[in-house]
Amino acid sequence: MSGRFSLPGRGPSAGSQRHTGTFLVLCVASVVLLLPVVWTISTSLKSSADVFSPGLGLIPWHPTLDAYRGVFGSVPFARYLFNSVVVTTAIVALNVGLDSCAAYAFAKLRFPGRSLLFGLLLTTLMIPMQVNLIPLYRMMVWVHIRVPALGADTLSGIIAPSAVQVFGIFLMRQFFASIPDALIEAARLDGASELAILRRVILPIARPGLATLTIFTLLQSWNDFLWPLIVSGSDASRTLPVGLALLSSKNTVNWPETMAGSVVTALPMVLIFVVLQRQFIEGLTAGSGKDL
Amino acid sequence: MASLTLLRPGGRGGRARRGGRVDKVAYLLVAPAMLLTGLFFFVPMVLSLYWSFNSYNGLQPPQWVAGSNYADLAMDPSFRHAVKNSVVFTVVTMLIGPALGLVSALLLNRRIWARSFFRSVFFLPVTLSLVVVGTMWKILLAENGLANQALGLVGISGRAWLDDPSTSLAAVSLASIWQGFGFETVIFLAALQTISADLYEAARMDGAGPFQSFKAVTLPSLRPTVFFVYVVGVIGALQAFDQMYVMTSGGPLGSTTTVVFYLVQRFQAFDLGHASAAAYLLVVVLAVVSAAQLRLSKRLS
Repeated sequence: MSGRFSLPGRGPSAGSQRHTGTFLVLCVASVVLLLPVVWTISTSLKSSADVFSPGLGLIPWHPTLDAYRGVFGSVPFARYLFNSVVVTTAIVALNVGLDSCAAYAFAKLRFPGRSLLFGLLLTTLMIPMQVNLIPLYRMMVWVHIRVPALGADTLSGIIAPSAVQVFGIFLMRQFFASIPDALIEAARLDGASELAILRRVILPIARPGLATLTIFTLLQSWNDFLWPLIVSGSDASRTLPVGLALLSSKNTVNWPETMAGSVVTALPMVLIFVVLQRQFIEGLTAGSGKDL
Repeated sequence: MASLTLLRPGGRGGRARRGGRVDKVAYLLVAPAMLLTGLFFFVPMVLSLYWSFNSYNGLQPPQWVAGSNYADLAMDPSFRHAVKNSVVFTVVTMLIGPALGLVSALLLNRRIWARSFFRSVFFLPVTLSLVVVGTMWKILLAENGLANQALGLVGISGRAWLDDPSTSLAAVSLASIWQGFGFETVIFLAALQTISADLYEAARMDGAGPFQSFKAVTLPSLRPTVFFVYVVGVIGALQAFDQMYVMTSGGPLGSTTTVVFYLVQRFQAFDLGHASAAAYLLVVVLAVVSAAQLRLSKRLS
């Protein structure tokens, strides 16, 4: 298209030349963008002595896994990884279940108080989570004193406030609303219960919505920092970002170890992104096209 | 089935069915979401509002002080500094991030080889947690890190960017833009691809050049997207905390202490009254931003 817009006197090949230019610009931009990532991985594969060898250090000439051994040995990254996996799995499962149930009711069922309850949920979207930080922490401490297995400094304390996301309810409600009522009505006439309708009629159609919700929640809970930082008091409940922040503040000299910690924290999401690029991008840009 | 649909014009027909079916199971379905939101959102919100009018250290019972926590904040130089830092951070990241995103999206929207590969490269940092990004950039920007080594190659002597109050906030902003602008790129790209080619064709018929058709076709079509990007971006930037915590711990000399950082500091100093008041001031600002966005987007449509 831009070929037609080219300045007079540049000849017919101006358009394709310009696209070659675009391609080259994008190549340079990609290299610059990826340099920090390459450097991080490279540093994580070096020994401490090699870090300050001359040159930019983008290539680890004597690669070693010492830093990773350190991170999983002297630093309890295995524990952080385990905690992150448990927390993220639980939050995703709870949101997929609970958000969908509520969203279905708001989209397809009739009951007194529906708009009032939905309006209440609406207001929470405008309020930042930081307002609830301190009272939530005190509630978790209160619970922990009475039931030591729950509340502050346990994984349940990290999971509970994220078990339901209002954004997830909104998202799923949009997907459910697009399903024709006639389809549901037909199942109802066949004597199916509401739960059976949800499971056999609605969920199969709403699958793209569920994929979006899953990816959105997955990334958010894996990378969440402020709340896990506040509520976890020991390695028993620290997730990867909290553990990495701790490592990075304590460990100012051993760069390879800090970088290895970064790689371990980032890798699971990067791998999922590489495998599911399209769904991933759709999941994270959900809501941009429509008014919620 | 057809007659059932007829009974309910438009398929919704809440009004047409008034007094009809009440789906009791709905209460069961919304109960978990409502209870959890009530317990973990509305209860803390009320507590926090109450504490913001009290002197409270979390041990002794709260003591009512009316609006003096808010008055204290207005006079506290470190809170004012934090507000200034949050505003500067928001303005800087929101001026550069979306602009970079738009330029990248325009480039990616051309017919080029390996387009989806480039899109993924731009998007990759978005999948990284801000703690990872902060950790990477803290070392990258250290006195003998990659940034200064690269600058040294072209004869510029760098410095410890994060240890200098005059460059620390800019350095943190740079890392944040690096992490976030791929999100804006992808959103702009999606919007660009929905613009009909006919519009460009019509502009060309009218004798518009590339710049004119960008102004007359591309920019107006992108307006809702620009709004979305700015609302999400501004609200996010005003809540910035993670990258400051990792890269600078709010320093040096408070030069990267944001409002949320200040709030967490007050909380860790057992000053729950002022922390809650700061949180509510943030609520007010974000509510104003949201309301302004709502009015603007209504005026546009």
